[in-house]
Amino acid sequence: MAVDINKVLLLGGGPTSIGHENELDAAAYERLIALKKTGAQIIYVDDNPFSVTSEEVQPANVYVQQVNFKNVVNIIEKEHPDAIMATTGGLNAMQIAWQLSESGVLTSNNINLLGIKPADLRKVIDNEKLRDLLTEINERVIASRIVADDTEAMDFVREVGFPVIVKPISASHDTSRFICNNTDELEDALDVSFKRAYIKRCSIEQSIVGYKEIEMVGIRDANGNKLLISGLEDMDPIGIHSGDSIIFAPTQTLINEEYQALRTATFRIMDSLNVTGTCHVQFAQSRTDSNYFVTKVSPFFTRNTLLAAKATGYPLTYVASFLELGYGFTEIKLPAKYSKYTPFMEPTMDHVLVRIPLWPFRDINDVDQHLNTLMKSVGSTIGVGRTVEEAIIKSMHSSQFSPRDILPSVSKVDDDDVINQLIHPLASRILILMEALRRGFSIDELSELTRIDRFYFYKLNQLLRAQDFVINHPLSPQSVQVGHKYGFGDGMLAELWNVNIAQITRMNQNVNHQVTYKEIEPSAGEFLEATNIFYSSYELENESKPFAEKTALVIGRGGNQLGPNSAADYYTAQILISLKKVGYKTLIMNTNPNVVSLTPQLSDKQYIEPIQLGNILNIINLDRPDVIFLPGNRHYLSKQLKQFADLNIIVLPPDQKVAHYKRHSATTAVDLFIQGKEIIPVTSLSFFNHHNRNDLHHLNDYQEPMIDWQKDESLIMQQAIKTTNPSEWQGLVQVLFNKTNSGDYICTGIRPVRITETAFLTKTTGINWINVLVKKYLGILDMASLREQLKPIAHKRYSIMTAHFPFKQLQSNRKEGTTRQEVGAALSFENFIN
Amino acid sequence: MMGKIILDKMAMQRALTRITYEIVEKNKGVEDLVLIGIKTRGIFLANRIADRLQQLENVTIPVGELDITNYRDDIEHDSMSIDVKMSNNKIDFSIEGKRVILVDDVLYTGRTVRAALSAVMDLGRPKSINLAVLVDRGHRELPIRADFVGKNIPSSQKEKIKVYVSEIDDKDAVELIK
Amino acid sequence: MTQRYLILADGSAYPGKAFGSLATTTGELVANSTMNGYQEIISNQIYHNQIIVFTQSSIGNTGLDQNAYESVLPSAKGVIVREYENLATDHFKRISLDRYLKQHRIPGIYDVDTREIRHRLQKYGNMMASIVDVADDHAFDQLHATVLTNQQVAQVATPKPYPNPDEGDNVVVVDFGLKSGILRELSRRNCNVTVVPWNSTSEMILDLDPDGIVLSTGPGAPSNLPESVLKMITEIQSQAPLFAIGLGHELFALANQAKVSKLRVEHHGANHPIREIITNEIFFSGQEQGYAVDPKSIDHAKLFITHVDLVNGTVQGLRHRDFPAFSVQFSPDGAPGPKDSVDLFDDFMEIMERRRDENGSRY
Repeated sequence: MAVDINKVLLLGGGPTSIGHENELDAAAYERLIALKKTGAQIIYVDDNPFSVTSEEVQPANVYVQQVNFKNVVNIIEKEHPDAIMATTGGLNAMQIAWQLSESGVLTSNNINLLGIKPADLRKVIDNEKLRDLLTEINERVIASRIVADDTEAMDFVREVGFPVIVKPISASHDTSRFICNNTDELEDALDVSFKRAYIKRCSIEQSIVGYKEIEMVGIRDANGNKLLISGLEDMDPIGIHSGDSIIFAPTQTLINEEYQALRTATFRIMDSLNVTGTCHVQFAQSRTDSNYFVTKVSPFFTRNTLLAAKATGYPLTYVASFLELGYGFTEIKLPAKYSKYTPFMEPTMDHVLVRIPLWPFRDINDVDQHLNTLMKSVGSTIGVGRTVEEAIIKSMHSSQFSPRDILPSVSKVDDDDVINQLIHPLASRILILMEALRRGFSIDELSELTRIDRFYFYKLNQLLRAQDFVINHPLSPQSVQVGHKYGFGDGMLAELWNVNIAQITRMNQNVNHQVTYKEIEPSAGEFLEATNIFYSSYELENESKPFAEKTALVIGRGGNQLGPNSAADYYTAQILISLKKVGYKTLIMNTNPNVVSLTPQLSDKQYIEPIQLGNILNIINLDRPDVIFLPGNRHYLSKQLKQFADLNIIVLPPDQKVAHYKRHSATTAVDLFIQGKEIIPVTSLSFFNHHNRNDLHHLNDYQEPMIDWQKDESLIMQQAIKTTNPSEWQGLVQVLFNKTNSGDYICTGIRPVRITETAFLTKTTGINWINVLVKKYLGILDMASLREQLKPIAHKRYSIMTAHFPFKQLQSNRKEGTTRQEVGAALSFENFIN
Repeated sequence: MMGKIILDKMAMQRALTRITYEIVEKNKGVEDLVLIGIKTRGIFLANRIADRLQQLENVTIPVGELDITNYRDDIEHDSMSIDVKMSNNKIDFSIEGKRVILVDDVLYTGRTVRAALSAVMDLGRPKSINLAVLVDRGHRELPIRADFVGKNIPSSQKEKIKVYVSEIDDKDAVELIK
Repeated sequence: MTQRYLILADGSAYPGKAFGSLATTTGELVANSTMNGYQEIISNQIYHNQIIVFTQSSIGNTGLDQNAYESVLPSAKGVIVREYENLATDHFKRISLDRYLKQHRIPGIYDVDTREIRHRLQKYGNMMASIVDVADDHAFDQLHATVLTNQQVAQVATPKPYPNPDEGDNVVVVDFGLKSGILRELSRRNCNVTVVPWNSTSEMILDLDPDGIVLSTGPGAPSNLPESVLKMITEIQSQAPLFAIGLGHELFALANQAKVSKLRVEHHGANHPIREIITNEIFFSGQEQGYAVDPKSIDHAKLFITHVDLVNGTVQGLRHRDFPAFSVQFSPDGAPGPKDSVDLFDDFMEIMERRRDENGSRY
């Protein structure tokens, strides 16, 4: 039976950082749509300026504040919610929920914590308690002990066997750990560790380095019914953070017996924690027998919880929201496009999904780039295909290696380096694996060195053979077929053969070899559901049908690297929302699993396809969109697309290449909106510079309105309007100024308003500028109403944008960052001092 | 004092399910059936059996609550009137001519059941009385035998059997405590 | 890679690539949507007379595991999959899928649009199909002319009794085309098992003095079996605890005057929620189902419906009102499929134990 809830406080995920992109915002957004159906009032707290969710909540109910204990307590005292939902706010929100419970705030305010009861949450937050719980339900956890001398250590090893890991217990931040495979190594490690230890104690634990890492995502209702969403298999062994691992769904190398054991264990854990909603459990699976260990339990939304949902097409967030409210599986009504059985059918897949992480080492290169237990990736891309190879290739050529359609190679690395990198992997891991295969390393040898299952090497080998075949048989129909089967897009074939893509298209037509789109839905074809999520394959049946209505295609950005990516995703999502409002059927194409713009409710059709020319043209050819939006700065792609004169392409914001300014000088800016010959001032900004580098690439922090706005704003606005020529500039434009020592403002440049600042302006001015721009470029902008909204400019407070950099998480010593190194940002407000 | 789980939640549920089927099987149906749970945990178990019968046969079987404190033979009670003895019970139906199933969590010496039988007899004249227990741990001191047993758990007299029910204990389990 | 064809009774032909045996076969085409356990599926005797379409896109990834066969001599008529991998990956899995299929003369075809085939079967229902070298008129004529045997149980079940000794409860398993998972679960519970032929009489079975009796899974329609089997069931069900699975469940229903009919689309998968009526709980299990007990035909004075499939509404479990006899349509042994209901075997053990206690009158 559902809990009766009138007012619920939803905790946001905060600014993006390493370990989380926009997936929490995407989950919160879906959750919001579900909650609205219950009629409950929703209070939302988040300081992520690129949150789409916060814009979907009634403005009066949004608290743009850091999600921390103090702020949440204040909000509770003001709003008196009946319930708190923390599960879409990441670990931070769960910890706050726990603090709220421990401090008695929940009880004294009579607030229901949804998803997991406080007493059970404690078992997850406190490692020792979790260990006790797992032991009680007969699940194996890694044995560990604190020892004071060699004898105690030997006793431990006699119980659990080698290998073990020895760590000194130290007050300083000593992260040294020693893997010991025999007595000699153990004695050495103890010797060193006891010397380093603060008090003479070491921690010793069973080593599971090299085990397979398997993840399971399940959901449970208040009646104790459970279903498994999906299993995920990390290609990389334990020892490499799951966030830095290449992940496959479904699991590839487990036999039924092993898989079912992990499924059963997941359910047992969910039962013992009385979870209502989702739970993500991570396991270390032995390679030599059927033993496994539980390594992590997360009864809340994680990156991979949402990946499991993406992989299967199961409406996880939506369903889990109702489960948290106390609904049973059979009481949940889904939108009409789903089969009515979907909430309580266990998803089954007829495709393969691969996720490849992206690392920021191109922009931050002074850190240890080895992949280990510390997560370093900042984004990822997914590829979906009917074969494992197809999925690998699609995710690869959606990833960082090149914007071009080429299967990259690392042939310049010498043999010693290859071996070294096999054992100590770097970001280019998958390329090194392929290179080693090219150089004739045996699969057994490679599996031994890398602890990666042989299966993956067989698959990579097939890919290499397919590539060789395609290269050696240029322009043959058979090559095209082989290429397509293994996921080589038309663009890729064109590059490999150095021909125009149109030639490949003609070949396809001649042999009647057409792309087909398959739906990602959770019943493996048992029901005709219309999730409208598609991926390509070259088969018989095409399931994606063009819309009869006017249609817009929005091309997403793919995997996040550093820089304004979460802002770009926000931008993309807003374009979709705007297009839908003005009556377009919308198509989105993207490969980033962690974006809001792929939320099913935001578009009419989603393509999980590489953002590559060939794949884009195929979709255009099928869906015949009336207009194509290309958000973000993508010079290469926009140049490629503009060759096709019949396509109606809108690049938003307009290409930054048109900007002209002096690099080292700007303290103040005025934002203008220009429509035709009309120029309207929007607001003014001051840039901060904490590091004394007056370089635009370093100006990540800013506030609105400008300092001294009372005195100077109208003056420089006039100046800005005067210097801007509407025949050169349209849309949102930023005029840059430098303040001289004498107090004058000198115009130093002009540029289109950047993506991050557009999001910022939307939050501070209360006008959805992306919506305005979309309407402008579609030619349906109502200027009168915009003028009305903008006049007069009345500032009420300072809005401040603070960039977040990943240096600390990556253990880099850098302090200052360029806009290219941003990982996220936070928004805050400050009242004027009278 | 270490508790070892003998029956977990699933096993406990299964035992109750099986007892329910066996009750129908033995009584050739559910006609005239009434359940009387012995305080405290027997009452919850009786209710669960009644819920199962409801699901299965779509009939509501009356459930009574019996507090046998004043019937124990190790307590001085001769002077008490029947009304006093009965004061803690909640049995708002007649047992006259009914098939009574007494429900308790653990069957041990048999003294509790003996007391319960006396109490039921004081209430009226049922057609039959059967006994259902979740756990039979042996060591009977009286010639009493359960008709429906969830699980036989042979135990030494030094050991304790603890039954947890989620209605009041926050979990379902049977533990053997050494 | 040899090109071969899957041809369907509705006239469609799918070119694909051959693996396994190169034999020409005909059978009923059924789709299985279980994501794990291709080995258990292929070796299950229930697929006698059938060609299996795997909806999971690739099989063969893990090679074959010595402990995961569901029969010694598999009798499936063919295997259709989008992609197959011929791996024998590690020390425990020495045999590859291709080698196994060749050994047992089972042809396979890969590189076909299995999702399209799945859609077709859902839309048009069960269909006959052949795996052939050439998809010409002759092949279609052969397909249409083929009549599959209805003596399936006799072909796959053991003709002679054999023991699987242990020290626990004495269980007789009546073999209708047994899947090994049943024996595995009984072994795990130390049962002293005797497997007897499908046509054993009640006397033969009861003479073994069983603590309990299992009616096994098997292929084909329950109506293909003679009346004598139903008579045997009515005679034993009152004498010892009875647990019937799959085909055994269908026969148990027939023996108690219920009706069984063929499903328009066979259901092979592990994705349907099964509701246990008495507790109202939902769980999942491997289902390989071509026939279903008609709920309307059940005499409620004799049988309870204990389990139902929440998607297609089919009866998934029955229990006799007067005897400790129960049955399930699905495979609680989880080979393959979830182990959510494996404790039905524990139920069976407890019922046998209670029976013994009662007979022994223990105080």
